[in-house]
Amino acid sequence: MKIVVAYKWAPNPQDADVAADGSVDLGRAKWAVSEYDPVALELARQLADATGGEVIGLTVGAAGIDTPLARKAALSRGLDRLVLVADDALDGADGTRVAAVLAAAVRGIGDVDVVLAGDSSVDVAAGQVALTLAGTLGWLGLAAVSAVRVADAGTAGLVVERELPAGTAVVSVPTPVVLAATADAVVPRVAGMKDILAAAKKPVEVLSLAELSVAEPGAVLTTLATAKPGGAERTARIFDGSDAAAAATELVGALRQSGAL
Amino acid sequence: MNAAQSWIVVADDAAATGLVEVARTLGTEVVAVVAGRRAVAEAVAGVVDRVLWLGEPGTAPVEAFAPDVARLVAEAAPRAVVGATTPGGRALLGAVGAALRSPVLAGVERVELAGDDVVVTRSVLGGISQHRTAVAGGPAVLAVDAGAAVAVSDTAAAVEEVAATPLPAQVVEVRPTTVAGVDLGAARVVVGVGRGLKAREDVALISGLAGALGGEVACSRPLAEGVDWLPKDRYIGISGQRVSPELYVAVGISGQLQHMVGVREAKVIVAVNSDKAAPVFAQCDYGIVGDLYQVVPALTAALGGTA
Repeated sequence: MKIVVAYKWAPNPQDADVAADGSVDLGRAKWAVSEYDPVALELARQLADATGGEVIGLTVGAAGIDTPLARKAALSRGLDRLVLVADDALDGADGTRVAAVLAAAVRGIGDVDVVLAGDSSVDVAAGQVALTLAGTLGWLGLAAVSAVRVADAGTAGLVVERELPAGTAVVSVPTPVVLAATADAVVPRVAGMKDILAAAKKPVEVLSLAELSVAEPGAVLTTLATAKPGGAERTARIFDGSDAAAAATELVGALRQSGAL
Repeated sequence: MNAAQSWIVVADDAAATGLVEVARTLGTEVVAVVAGRRAVAEAVAGVVDRVLWLGEPGTAPVEAFAPDVARLVAEAAPRAVVGATTPGGRALLGAVGAALRSPVLAGVERVELAGDDVVVTRSVLGGISQHRTAVAGGPAVLAVDAGAAVAVSDTAAAVEEVAATPLPAQVVEVRPTTVAGVDLGAARVVVGVGRGLKAREDVALISGLAGALGGEVACSRPLAEGVDWLPKDRYIGISGQRVSPELYVAVGISGQLQHMVGVREAKVIVAVNSDKAAPVFAQCDYGIVGDLYQVVPALTAALGGTA
């Protein structure tokens, strides 16, 4: 079984500085394999080990995503090899364009049975790219996947479990298929020194964006304005807590009076 | 492009009020394409102008209809396509976005028309910033909160059945959820604790206060993902939960934007922090500047609880 893990090398907005006009400075943000993607990498490894398959990492983005650190971070998490599309033309690309490039790369890899992805990216956090990738490929795409295994002998395809509001749905799916995992489907392995050393020897293929056949966008986005998120205006009434008991009594009184309690 | 029309894509769920509302703002005629049971199509027919239904799904998951949905939408080329942020909704929108080669915009807070262009105000990067974005040259594809179930209506559009060829997949079993995790979203009062807490056993202090308030304990990211003192489903912030309780009490939390986006919708915010310059005091309704180890037991006692 040939399994591709579509993952993202992304900055963590936890460390972003947001100016009063809403502009975001990610200069201090730490880049890493996006938060939930190690879950997908682990699911892929377990599925491959159960079927004698191969796991190929795939990521696309601006030129800056291709660094020795970034390669090693992915390859030390159970991948057999890595395929990258790193081109500054993809800097800030929207999800549909990212999905189109991923789809072209998946077609280029060829004979892929399963694409696995994390629940959502740490930065954009929309949970959309994996499903748009499925749409681009014309494959079935399922999100909220908590477990995946090969179907019983004599039946083709996979059996996946999904965590949906109605409960756990067990779905029999044919391949090829795109699956987006829940954030806690499995506990991802922690890469050890051996994994990191082995990562340096694994093959990496860099595809050029120009050579992939990717359709031009059908709609154009223009950012008209940015703003810092507002929320309700709040005027704080502050109590001095140097006498904790008095401050507590005053606060509870004020909360009762305002109807909050 | 058919600028008069906007479409909603429905993934077997009559909770579509949010979709219809956005679609009405963007088009004079609202067309629904419904993947799922006939009952859902009939419910939606009460609130839109036209319903295309893809037939009884049987055991097929709603995602199996994504290619059919995308084909119908692409043929019509409406000004906007609106779907839900649920797993099924995002799968339908993904196929639509791919067919139209148009980005699927999430975090939608407001939509308006500027000439023929759709202008979307949306939160980005997990809510730390807000963008006003114009979509030009092609349909706008929007993922929005589904909202409540559509109201029952006496006058309904006819449900037009359209032949579909779903992808081959079968739901073989659905096991109802039995595990009861914490539901912070339903809590009337939430007490969040942050790095001001010095030791794991001190979580009991916070639980005491939450108990006196009849609320749930939550935390900022470092306590769930740094030191692991509280489970991840209690973490509030940009990649965690977002809550909108009647009362949120932030204890020992500095008030970084990344945490506060998760409690922005709280009705009343109370902050307890020893640093009077902490940003949280600029974002709360009431604050106590003081040592949480003094203030929290005092609050619990003042509420009649056991500190």
